[in-house]
Amino acid sequence: MLRYILKRVFYMAITLFIIATVSFFLMKMLPGSPLSVENKLSEAQQTIVLEKYGLNDPIPVQYVKYIAGLVQGDLGISFQFDNTPVTDIIMARIGPSMVLGAQALVFGTVLGILFGLVAAISHNGVLDYTSTIIAVLGTSIPSFIFAGLLQWYLAVKFEMFPVALWGTYEHTILPTIALLIFPMAISARFTRTEMLEVLGSDFITTARAKGVTEFGIIFKHGLRNALIPLVTVVGPMAVGLMTGTLVIEQIFAVPGIGEQFVTSVMVVDYPTIMGLTLFFAFLFVAIILVIDLLYVLIDPRIRLTGGES
Amino acid sequence: MKLKKVWFLALALMLGLFLAACSGGDDGGDTSSEGGEDTNTEADSGEEDTGEEEASEPEQVMNFINGDTIPSMDASMVTDEYGIQFLGATMDGLYRLKDGEVVPGIATDHEISEDGTTWTFTLREDAKWSNGDPVTAHDFVYSWQRAVNPDTGSEYGPYMMGGVIKNATAVNSGDVPVEELGVKAVDDYTFEVTLENPVPYFESLTTFATYYPLNQKFVEEQGDKYATSTDTLVFNGPYTLDNWESTSSSWELNKNADYWDAETVKLEKMTYEVVKDPQTAVDLYESGEIDRAGLSSDLVDQYSTHDDYRVVPETSLFYLKLNQTGSDALANVNIRKAISKAFDKEALVNEILNNGSLVSTGFVPKDFVQTPSGEDFREANGDLVTHDVEEAKALWEKGLEEIGQDSVTLEFLAGDSETAKTMNEYLANQLQTNLPGLTVELKQVPFEQRLDLDTNMDYQIQFAGWGPDYLDPYTFLNLWLTDGGNNKMGFSNEKYDSLLEETATTLAQDPEARYANFLEAEKILAEEAAVAPIYQSASAQLVRPSVQDVYVNAFGPTYEYKWASVGAEE
Amino acid sequence: MTQENEHKDVPKELLVPLERKEDTSEKISGPPRSFMQDARRTFFKNKFAVISMILLVIVVLLSIIGPYFNEHTMDGQDLSRAKMPPRVPVLENISWLGLNGTLTSEFDGDTVEDATKNAVMRYDNKEDFIDIRVLAEGDGSKDSAEVEATYHIYEAQEMMDQYYWLGTDTLGRDQWTRMWLGTRVSLIIASVAALIDLVIGVAYGGISGYYGGRIDSFMQRIIEILVGIPNLVVILLMIIVLQPGIVSIIIALTITGWIGMARIVRGEILKLKNEEFVLAARTLGQSGGKTITKHLLPNVAGIIIINTMFTIPNAIFFEAFLSFIGLGIVPPEASLGALINSGFDVFRLYPYMVFYPAVLISVIMIAFNLIGDGLRDAFDPKMHK
Repeated sequence: MLRYILKRVFYMAITLFIIATVSFFLMKMLPGSPLSVENKLSEAQQTIVLEKYGLNDPIPVQYVKYIAGLVQGDLGISFQFDNTPVTDIIMARIGPSMVLGAQALVFGTVLGILFGLVAAISHNGVLDYTSTIIAVLGTSIPSFIFAGLLQWYLAVKFEMFPVALWGTYEHTILPTIALLIFPMAISARFTRTEMLEVLGSDFITTARAKGVTEFGIIFKHGLRNALIPLVTVVGPMAVGLMTGTLVIEQIFAVPGIGEQFVTSVMVVDYPTIMGLTLFFAFLFVAIILVIDLLYVLIDPRIRLTGGES
Repeated sequence: MKLKKVWFLALALMLGLFLAACSGGDDGGDTSSEGGEDTNTEADSGEEDTGEEEASEPEQVMNFINGDTIPSMDASMVTDEYGIQFLGATMDGLYRLKDGEVVPGIATDHEISEDGTTWTFTLREDAKWSNGDPVTAHDFVYSWQRAVNPDTGSEYGPYMMGGVIKNATAVNSGDVPVEELGVKAVDDYTFEVTLENPVPYFESLTTFATYYPLNQKFVEEQGDKYATSTDTLVFNGPYTLDNWESTSSSWELNKNADYWDAETVKLEKMTYEVVKDPQTAVDLYESGEIDRAGLSSDLVDQYSTHDDYRVVPETSLFYLKLNQTGSDALANVNIRKAISKAFDKEALVNEILNNGSLVSTGFVPKDFVQTPSGEDFREANGDLVTHDVEEAKALWEKGLEEIGQDSVTLEFLAGDSETAKTMNEYLANQLQTNLPGLTVELKQVPFEQRLDLDTNMDYQIQFAGWGPDYLDPYTFLNLWLTDGGNNKMGFSNEKYDSLLEETATTLAQDPEARYANFLEAEKILAEEAAVAPIYQSASAQLVRPSVQDVYVNAFGPTYEYKWASVGAEE
Repeated sequence: MTQENEHKDVPKELLVPLERKEDTSEKISGPPRSFMQDARRTFFKNKFAVISMILLVIVVLLSIIGPYFNEHTMDGQDLSRAKMPPRVPVLENISWLGLNGTLTSEFDGDTVEDATKNAVMRYDNKEDFIDIRVLAEGDGSKDSAEVEATYHIYEAQEMMDQYYWLGTDTLGRDQWTRMWLGTRVSLIIASVAALIDLVIGVAYGGISGYYGGRIDSFMQRIIEILVGIPNLVVILLMIIVLQPGIVSIIIALTITGWIGMARIVRGEILKLKNEEFVLAARTLGQSGGKTITKHLLPNVAGIIIINTMFTIPNAIFFEAFLSFIGLGIVPPEASLGALINSGFDVFRLYPYMVFYPAVLISVIMIAFNLIGDGLRDAFDPKMHK
């Protein structure tokens, strides 16, 4: 097991290295530089500004310097915020996104699994259709419409929650609800499909024949098997949620990382774009590793082939 | 049976969620009042105060939102609206703008030499930095030298000072040492400036952020970290910026007790939160959490009957840049003229913008500057470019004949904000409908990318805008000089260049002749159809009536808060 | 001996030789049905799936012929008729439908007159065409009175002979026409993107999961790298390389879109490949490719279909996001996503601008999902009855 994890961590490092390389050269292909923000610099000054960001070196030299910086945890200096390291930007913005993302993920998937379970158990019954419709609406209606409606009714009209901004726990409630709709709907759909599959399989019939209680069948035998494909979906979703979603953060004026990323893209702030890209990539590969380990825990049939041969 | 259990679980979970939400609410209740609910409690605390014996003075606190973070608070480096806004609130230059008037700041007075090129400013002796150091002429010398020093990499330094202050351009290109810049501290409180040429609007230039003083010792101590957070900043203006870092999404301005004119400053505190969505801003306004909210044109329909609805006139101009190097068609003057006359600006301003913006018919805005005879510049030259479909069609036919084509496809480069998108679609449709044979391909990109494409002249028609940097027609007209840094559309007219050159040199001290030149130059722009004017902006807002004496500037910081105060609600 | 005696009691006549009959225990009693016939039968038994199918066919048909129901065009702008509410002949007489061409809103004021004044100001000062209904009399304090004003805008604008079935947008373009043209664009983008995702994803996931070992871990590394680069960065590159339009949107959507499908298919295959039937197929010498296509894929068909049903809404909304950052549909063309996006900005004031496209997009999604469910059951032999 330990050997497997070490090996995976090694792969992770390689993956990140490739992503860093690819994104570095992609950025070099795109137009724009710290100069593009304004265009009133003289030639002499341009050289100095470029020097400051190390952009006068030949590209291979820049690349080596960048990778060397990465190894030391230095993601470079932002173009957008004068003299501010990219790591500072990430640290300043990741908090709110993490809080919202984690809340939405936990509540969303738990509710989703419940809806899916109920739907599967009452297959083709009224409850099945009700929860299917809820799930379908959840994936069909854009989150910004939910967010807008929530804000309008719960905050503006009934004044139950703060309209926007960040600060207290109350501020997290509306954005969390708006965010959790999607993971909820997705998990409900997958849970239902998988539960139906599992409940129809032979070992469940056997378990029934042996007199296992319905509760035991659903939770011990059914759910455990049904959750496997869900894990594959939840992982990437978790990264997506934690790294923030632009629209929700904008509507509720949450100072999150997703919003920052889009801003950086809009102002072509390369060091920040690359830094955030790598940061997201790191989160992602880490979560994939966790999921693969989870797989082993949930499904004994999957062996750790990565450690052999 | 089985169902019941599952439902029970589901219910328990849902309850858990909402309980968590509610209890969280209770926890947050106390703390949330520190920020958001201050405005709400203003009235209440007023009432409570009357219960006690203190006068029912409203609390001198205002709560605002900002459209984005502040990218830079370094006076030499700042280029953007927000940086300039908050530097304006925390710094004092030689002079200051008050409701369109130039009033003394650190300088109490100045003398101008006979030839108009040497300005000697007398500085007040009671001005102090927030770290206790006195504000002296050396601070100005250091700051201005720093702004044009090529090592600083300032963008606005050479732009604002080049051609104005002696040797600024030469210093910036590295040809002469920084010490050669035409600034001198005669003594601690006498500051002497030598100009390249007489600059009639120099007084208003000194109110601009790039001309603010800097505390050399402090700036050098901080090095690269200077102006990246509250701790690495020092102020000499009416307010101090607190709880700020360059990535902050909230911060506050507090009254600066060390300010030389602190007794004039009534406001104790202003809080800021970054809010980008206009609908959210309005909701915050309605819930009483903020005291001012800008209205996008969609929102104007809804709020134009609101008691607090205000239209704030502005002096920014928006126009179509027609890139003459971009296509044969646009190199043809008749085609350019046809384009500039083909769209209905009136409908655009009234139906789409709907926020008090005005139709623009020239290249210098209305209510900005007056000719020496006291006439508004716009009035003096009249409507130069008007909407006239018939004429546009005739010119279009003529132009097409001259270039020997019967259909033309042009790319239309524009911004991508919501209102901009509607305008773009409208303008593209108007041009296509009114000019037969024209196909317009819309290309909507974010602001920074548009600037990039502009710099590389990689566009054909571009929707662009410009706001003034000082109080003189030159700030608008110098855009279209042949080598103007913002021309970038291949417009070049010798007569135009020489007319403007004269206003900055030989005629600099003769206002009458100077303005005559400006007026004539503007007419050339219309004859050549260099750019197609669209509108002069205004902004629609909801502003709390208690917000008093906040002045809106035509240039520099958008708002002037030095004299602001919270008045009674009604 | 005694036993023999017992047998002797049986009369010999009763012992007749067994008549040879065909063995019926193995016989199929009903008419023979193929798997596909069974599947079809199960599918058409599912009422919701059938209704969804019909709805979807109607939507597709309308997206083809709907725009030609009136004389308005995609980019037929006229600011004098901007923001007109929906008005439909006949249906306009049924007030609660909201299709009678009036704008209704509530106004506050200190007194009823005050509130009324606000309403009149809001509605172009055309008092004659405004009906006022008092909701709260008010006591003279700030905003205590409330009235509901109904503005007959078609009459006020002297456009009684005009009917905009779904109203007009901020530039005076007919929403009905734009909505169906937008639907057409959205459906094309979503279905092409989903199809490409499906093909690439299934092939990739199938191969990766089935062969396992080095191939699998190599292919998974590639996926990790691809997913690790945020979509936005990929899309930014697209902006420069490609001209905005339907094709580039589809490319942008599929460039990373197939990964989800590949991961799910791989997960399923990993689970299934150790089952007996696969072992049997391999033992009997079935080739790898055939084992995947004949034995494994039919078993993961359900989850593939469900996932495709999610790819479609994703594709539609991702397209809207692309429109938002400038790589979307180039105006004046529009997609459903783009229409919702622009309507959303005014949804409190002109709800009809976002309402109809949003309802339509939801109907399309729900239909796809229910059809997906129906197909899933149809492909599952256990559900056949």
